[in-house]
Amino acid sequence: MKNELSVMMLSWEFPPRVIGGISPHVYYLSKSLARNGVKVYVVTCDFPGAPAHEVLDDVEVYRVDSYKNPAPDFATWVYLMNLNMQKEAAALAASLPNKVGVFHAHDWLVATSGIGLKHVFRKPLLVTMHSTEIGRRDGLHTDTEKMISETEAWLTYEAWKVICCSGYMVSHVRWAFGLPEDKLVMVPNGVNTQVYDAIAGEDLRELRSRFAAPHERLVLFVGRLVYEKGVHILVNAVPKVLEKVDAKFVIVGSGYMKEQLLNIVRSMKLEHKVLFAGFVDDATLLRLQKVADVSVVPSLFEPFGIVALEAMAARSPVVVSDTGGLSEIVEHDVTGVKVYPNNTDSLAWGITRVLTDDGFRRYIVENAYRKVQEKYDWEKIAQQTKRIYESVLGEYSKSFWA
Amino acid sequence: MRVIIFSWEYPPRVVGHLAEDISTLSTQLAKHGVETYVVTYHDYLTGATNEPSGVNTIRVTNPVRTHIGVLTWVLTLNQEVERAAANIYYQAKKHVGVIDVYDWHFIPAAVTLKNALAVPFIFSVESLEDHRSPGANSPFNMAIKSIEWLGFYEAARVTAKSEWMRDEIVRIYKVPGEKITVVPPNTDSRVQNVLKLYAAVTGGTQD
Repeated sequence: MKNELSVMMLSWEFPPRVIGGISPHVYYLSKSLARNGVKVYVVTCDFPGAPAHEVLDDVEVYRVDSYKNPAPDFATWVYLMNLNMQKEAAALAASLPNKVGVFHAHDWLVATSGIGLKHVFRKPLLVTMHSTEIGRRDGLHTDTEKMISETEAWLTYEAWKVICCSGYMVSHVRWAFGLPEDKLVMVPNGVNTQVYDAIAGEDLRELRSRFAAPHERLVLFVGRLVYEKGVHILVNAVPKVLEKVDAKFVIVGSGYMKEQLLNIVRSMKLEHKVLFAGFVDDATLLRLQKVADVSVVPSLFEPFGIVALEAMAARSPVVVSDTGGLSEIVEHDVTGVKVYPNNTDSLAWGITRVLTDDGFRRYIVENAYRKVQEKYDWEKIAQQTKRIYESVLGEYSKSFWA
Repeated sequence: MRVIIFSWEYPPRVVGHLAEDISTLSTQLAKHGVETYVVTYHDYLTGATNEPSGVNTIRVTNPVRTHIGVLTWVLTLNQEVERAAANIYYQAKKHVGVIDVYDWHFIPAAVTLKNALAVPFIFSVESLEDHRSPGANSPFNMAIKSIEWLGFYEAARVTAKSEWMRDEIVRIYKVPGEKITVVPPNTDSRVQNVLKLYAAVTGGTQD
């Protein structure tokens, strides 16, 4: 096809390499774009056992050498990895029979690749800002953090359009980098409801019993154990919830706060009520989300809050802190419960409320599931993204680069 | 013939002797009818200049102002080097014969331009990390060595200033000796040697 719209996605993670939310985002976005007639080339980091090139549902995936020598530090590794990524993406783009129409970068982790490719091929660059350094760190405290933030600023400067996944992130990114209003565009993140619907009929009692006793309500946290995810707020709320309800708190994920959190639990003598499950595989996680009596997202900083959306797709009631993207996803008392951020009492109240009122729980679960299908469907998100590509290419066609 | 020279120092920014050396060479090349561009770094004197010598210079700076080391500084400056070189390439209707890269700093840009636009490059070695930091094999030094290695691997040809340096490149990086041309600096025949090499790399075309 001669006039086929083609895009080269740059992402430092793509399944089976999963570190955070970018990997599933790029996976579903790419697949849905391909279904909508966009030719997608994903260039990403290699992963043990994953092929250097494969075609997944019409998406061409290329995994490049991610610089495996020891690197001085993480940030320097990112730039070294980009040297390889840019080189291999350049060779790939030059070899394709159909020219790449747009380059689409995801976060600063592929900033230098995206910027370089834009200039050598003179094609428009789009960026999706999934998060910002200044938001993750609540300020810029070290030279590394400043450097990363300045790299993000440079990336958004070079981009034709900056895509953010929530209204909150649009205003945050505009503030953080001083961008003009018309450069920003909001496209929500999506969630795949089919993976949850597919296991709807399964008997999950055995699985549930691995995490909680039958008489315990299952309270689920899924996320990295880092400050901004607010998992320490949840841990501190445990005794307050237990005053009213018998529950088991299951914490899935790992991170630098793990030891600190374990110490808090030990000091409260509640080791039997809080289970640190570590990293669990996808199949288990999906089922755990289905059996959870409540899913808690107590983040202090949350650009979007995909984990809340997943819980809603899994028909698990959600309690979220009223911040960032979570504020937009959840409508209080309709699709979930919103609590004050960084507030143990408020969080304990929200969890208790959901666990003690079955009628209310069923009501918010049904509303939440409908909302997810209406607004956060990958098919619709891919169509919105395709329209952005087309409008950028329309503007580009009138520029002297065309 | 149209040639782009990459050098991280060029007057008025003088770090070592490379700045004067590139200035002399580029002036001589221009005198011999080569359309010569120098892409270099300056913190604030950025932009394009047509020098009286006939050499065209483009100075770029780093868009990222805070750094944690030479590596992050270099690896973010290279995209500006790519931008400058790509501008020359497209303005010249895609006719650039060769890029001559002095030392490792701008090897990443040269490698990308080669892979994207099929412009070959020459890696001209002033010094090697192995000599600058003898015995050092920290992740920092290894990263610089890996960039030097990439340069040797991807380059169409390599130049060394002396027989000794050629032998060192062969010894340390296992580069085939016939890929390396010895071009002694500060000799009357230098520019002729360089022109011969450029002609060899471009296949003798007038690009």
